[in-house]
Amino acid sequence: MEPMPDADTVSVLYVDPDDDAQLETATDLDISPLVDAAVETCATIEEAIDTLESTAVDCLVTEHELSDGTGLELVEWVRDNHPDLPCILYTSAPPDAIRTAEFGSVVVEYLPKEIPDSVTALARLIDNVVSQRSQLAYPIPETEDERLAALERYDVIDLEATETVDRLTDLVASHFGVAVAFAGVVDAHEERFLACKGADWEQLDREDTICTYTLLEDDHLIVENVQADSRFGDVEVLKELDIRSYAGVPLKTPDGLPIGALCLIHDEPRSYTDSEIEDLHRFADELMEQLELRRRLRETERAVPKPDHQGAR
Amino acid sequence: MTTALTEAYVFDRLPIEPIPSGTNLLVTGPPHGRTQDLLYELLAGGDDGGMLFVTTDDDGVTVAETYEGLGHTFDPGRMCLIDASQHNKDTADAPIRHVASPSDLTGIGMEFSSLYESLRGSGLGQIRVGLSSISTLLVYAEDFRAVYRFLHTITSRIRTADGLGVFGVDPDAVEDEAFATIAQTFDARLDVREGEDGPEVRIHGLDDQPTGWLSL
Repeated sequence: MEPMPDADTVSVLYVDPDDDAQLETATDLDISPLVDAAVETCATIEEAIDTLESTAVDCLVTEHELSDGTGLELVEWVRDNHPDLPCILYTSAPPDAIRTAEFGSVVVEYLPKEIPDSVTALARLIDNVVSQRSQLAYPIPETEDERLAALERYDVIDLEATETVDRLTDLVASHFGVAVAFAGVVDAHEERFLACKGADWEQLDREDTICTYTLLEDDHLIVENVQADSRFGDVEVLKELDIRSYAGVPLKTPDGLPIGALCLIHDEPRSYTDSEIEDLHRFADELMEQLELRRRLRETERAVPKPDHQGAR
Repeated sequence: MTTALTEAYVFDRLPIEPIPSGTNLLVTGPPHGRTQDLLYELLAGGDDGGMLFVTTDDDGVTVAETYEGLGHTFDPGRMCLIDASQHNKDTADAPIRHVASPSDLTGIGMEFSSLYESLRGSGLGQIRVGLSSISTLLVYAEDFRAVYRFLHTITSRIRTADGLGVFGVDPDAVEDEAFATIAQTFDARLDVREGEDGPEVRIHGLDDQPTGWLSL
């Protein structure tokens, strides 16, 4: 992914088979005071997918009738590959002319093109869906922005903490006798596994993870039978990875921001005693303390001024 | 200067103080009956507001009739229904849009957006939005996440457009964990129960409202 040009600029991909509509809408959005948008345009699903695979996009706006398929087919691809991306169907087709039944779960914003001053409505809608994160399929902590900012300060590779996290995770796995133990950090759209004993998971879409729910917990989240919990029972990936039971403690910074979780996974439903859960908390505290000490060390190293050859005045 | 859009929503026939615009309410109680009546009373907003109701259980014609039975006027000029129940009646003239099933969240969402935009476009300042049952959506949906995404999308639109949202749910038909997750999407909660002297409501999560069980 390329870096964003500016943190506040919303990068929009606009898909429309009509060249004139592309140019006009892109220009109008560029100059609209309602949203600070950088607009890229293309005409087909194929081109849209190419762009989405190579560029960071904050919002997809698409016509419904495209030469190689429909807007909803494109949104379905987005839900499978970039599930959190907000999508707007901006189209001349009225809702009852669009076949939605086989796309019942994709969920999309809809704005008719033919209303007066539609680009103003579009600009406002883009700003809303992006700032409200309104198409997420899971709840986020109230402190989401601060949490994401904090996450950058605990980069495990930057902190040279990989071995420590590995060692702790190995210890956790053998202490509890579970199939898998892992430490993961949850960023805006994905969970990345820092260390994983018993499996070789690297990352998961955030909407597929149980850890994104653990972030909301004060203490911990125990799901004794994952497939029997209606929040997770339909998540195919959890079944495929044989995640049948889950216990997680949030990893919190000293000011209480949850950046990830330390977790136990078992391949059949199981429960945990209070003392086991207490132990998991201790391991999580230990891990976070390691990261915190290393972060402070790194901060101190960077704060030490280089020798000044210019001489002080 | 306050514009019409930011005025609080008023409830003439309910023991509820005005509720700020942009608020989404979860109305919990047994299906149909009193819970449904309270939804309609919350949606009835005098003579000049817009109204949009998504019905997942009763067909649209029954909804309009029940609404009128409570002493309100169903004015097609500023009110519309999305019928996602599976017993559609043929209603060519009525302002009722049809979606084939409560599982078609995409279809319901698109009709909702289209109607909401047209109500706003016709200059209506206050728009009240209702949905009869989240529990029904959960029963039909392929995946809990789709329902969450749908609710998040609709409530965001109501919040940013200074609307009022009222969403019914039967808590006994939803698992506790799923219910708690759904409830987080809403700003406040109204619980309905059958008390000794008739139906009662209790309000959670809003400032400046009466506390405890109130007679309806």
